[in-house]
Amino acid sequence: MRHDTWLDALAGELRRHGVAEQTAGNVLAETAAHLWESGDDPLRAFGPPQAYAATVAESVRPEPPRRAPGGPVLLEVVGITKRYGRRTVLREVSLAVRAGEVAAVVGANGSGKSTFLGICAGLVSPDRGEVRVHGSLGYCPQGGGTSDFLVPDEHFLLVGAGRGMSRADARDTGRAGAAALDWDPRGGTQARHLSGGTRQKLNLVLAGLGDPDVLLLDEPYQGFDQGSYLDFWQQVRRWRDAGKAIVVVTHLLNTRDGVDTVLDLTPRGRA
Amino acid sequence: MSKTFVVAEMALREIARRRGVLAILLIFPLAFYLSRRDSHAGQSIRFVCLGIGWAMSTAALFAGSAARAVEPRLRLSGYRSSHLYLGRLAALWTVGLLLSAPYYVLIRIDQEHIRYGAIALIMLLTVAVAAPFGLALSAALPRELEGMLVLLIVVGLQMMMDPAGSASRLLPFWFSREIGTYAVDHTDGGYLTRGLIHAVVCLAALLAVVAVASGYRLRQRSHLRFVARR
Repeated sequence: MRHDTWLDALAGELRRHGVAEQTAGNVLAETAAHLWESGDDPLRAFGPPQAYAATVAESVRPEPPRRAPGGPVLLEVVGITKRYGRRTVLREVSLAVRAGEVAAVVGANGSGKSTFLGICAGLVSPDRGEVRVHGSLGYCPQGGGTSDFLVPDEHFLLVGAGRGMSRADARDTGRAGAAALDWDPRGGTQARHLSGGTRQKLNLVLAGLGDPDVLLLDEPYQGFDQGSYLDFWQQVRRWRDAGKAIVVVTHLLNTRDGVDTVLDLTPRGRA
Repeated sequence: MSKTFVVAEMALREIARRRGVLAILLIFPLAFYLSRRDSHAGQSIRFVCLGIGWAMSTAALFAGSAARAVEPRLRLSGYRSSHLYLGRLAALWTVGLLLSAPYYVLIRIDQEHIRYGAIALIMLLTVAVAAPFGLALSAALPRELEGMLVLLIVVGLQMMMDPAGSASRLLPFWFSREIGTYAVDHTDGGYLTRGLIHAVVCLAALLAVVAVASGYRLRQRSHLRFVARR
């Protein structure tokens, strides 16, 4: 593999892992110097750029600073109970998410994670309980949520118009959100021709369009490759730092993902 | 208004990209027309109008079903249900008018001694009724196959039932036979009046069904309250 190709890939991966710009620059400079001096094949010397970046990121990751107590509560879920027939899927579930917090909803298959998020979004009615949203709501469903015959820019315009955004603003904001997920949506590919992962990126960008205060994300990374998965969590951290309240339904909770609250919906007998 | 316009624009873009469907929609009424061209002139005209109604109802049925995946998100993004169904109706009405225009020209060229203004009126009313009819079916029957079967039954009955019978007045395109008779057979204005009243009543009823069904499906549930951010 050529040195510059490998170094470019490494730079991208370091960015994905959230390595500070100055640190990444130092790492790249040192790695490049080593490669030029030794003449080694970078793959043989350091391995794949993804793996090397992960190792570097792990070694330079500072202890997460203790954040100040969260801001005001933006999402209040109180005593939600939901039954399908005789089966109680959710029993007296409560959750409060503050501005600048990330809550992960975990649980076994069929434990009601998506139902819970649907109730939070107001798409499913519970049998009991209530949800209060302080501000506006963005929702990324697990499937659907896009229109097969529209291209990404048209999705941005459509959702943006609902949020009161101008056409140019909606398109530019959508494209910027896509770029943060390492995706260029220009080119006029209809949603039905996008890969599963790219379609989910579109879904995720649409959820964040218009700067909603509360974001509900239902397993949004389905079909993502490892790099996109890291980009996704970077985006979640950016939203959190901007003071959003974020709820992520997930199967894959990595300890490094940095969530503040975990709501486990696994029934007690199965936990 | 601008939100409705954006929904209409996007719905038109979606329909315009279904080129195969558009081609079938365009040819479909022609088959109806040609199938009865050698018989009484009025029959071919009635059949072409029925073909337009069937084609547009089908297009509306599929458009309504396809929109189900994205409408909850749009509702959460700030649209009211009226923005969504009115925008989609506006797009379908536009397509219907464009679809009907060549058939009006065809009848002008191919048929003589008929009231052309009444033919234009039938086509206009057929398009107006067909779009909410298809959307109402998609609202009541979420699965496309079921909606398609009901559509097939309705149009089949429309062709087979005696238009003079009172039961046939329950069918949504009954007015096209009445106004068609006025246009082709030069009958008195009673046919035109009855047809017009039937079309207006059908249109109002179907619009009400679409509005109520859409409003109910996309309603804000009572357990969710939005509070202004402190």
